[in-house]
Amino acid sequence: MKVEKKKLPDEIPTSSMADIAFLLIIYFMITTTFSARRGLDFSLPKEEKNPPPVIEKEESIHIQIKPDGSFLVDQKPMDLNDIWDYIKPKLERNPKKPIIINPDPEAPYGKMVEVFDYLRNLQKKYANTYPWINKMVITIPTRREIEAFWS
Amino acid sequence: MRKKIKALEHKAVIPTASMADIAFLLIIFFMLTITFEVDKTQVALPKAAIRKEVPKKAAYISITKEGVVRVSGGDEISTVVPLETVSSFALEVTSIDPNKEFVLKADKEVPYRLVDEVIDALKQAQVKVVYLLSEAKPVEEQ
Repeated sequence: MKVEKKKLPDEIPTSSMADIAFLLIIYFMITTTFSARRGLDFSLPKEEKNPPPVIEKEESIHIQIKPDGSFLVDQKPMDLNDIWDYIKPKLERNPKKPIIINPDPEAPYGKMVEVFDYLRNLQKKYANTYPWINKMVITIPTRREIEAFWS
Repeated sequence: MRKKIKALEHKAVIPTASMADIAFLLIIFFMLTITFEVDKTQVALPKAAIRKEVPKKAAYISITKEGVVRVSGGDEISTVVPLETVSSFALEVTSIDPNKEFVLKADKEVPYRLVDEVIDALKQAQVKVVYLLSEAKPVEEQ
């Protein structure tokens, strides 16, 4: 008796390939952690051998941050959004008048970023209306520098 | 005698042959665009409106709410170090690449004195730019 040969399909089974690939995609998507990749850029002044020009407190706009997170601008308590009205006439007269941010050692870091960001945002917002604002100088001296120059 | 016309039979099949190709293309896209986080410290970042893209190979310094400081040169996973050694770490990094950017990833509740010491260390190491890592501020608050 002639045995009939069973015919095998000459194809590679690829139907499950999509399932495997989609499972891999889901795995990658779940394990991906979205990382913060953006931040405020802050240029540090060069540490020079000869001392930098001494700025008198009176010649600058002095923003202090108290430990509770409130602000003192030139010793006057102020809300963050009122700072612009205060500094605008001063900067109009002298755009290079330095703005010094001086947070208390116990003040939260977030408040320093808030003020710095606020000032930088003013620069961006009013760049066309008030061209002098591009000359605005914002400095955040460290404790060591403050002690060296102002004590 | 009328001939019975046989209806043309269509097999009910959805063509799935190209599905795998699409899926693999997606995988390749994900694999190419993925950026591995250098520093995995969980911190509540401060919010800011002005935000610039941090360079990929930047060195990281992170400070948690509890005051734990971690550093990473940009390629390796970050390690916990005492605050005093940040300046030697920064010097080490800038001696290899003087234009290296630094990223400060600090919790918004961190007392400023810790940040102050880190910035002071970076200034002494002649670092040029520091990025203060932040989250996006909602538009209505700006």
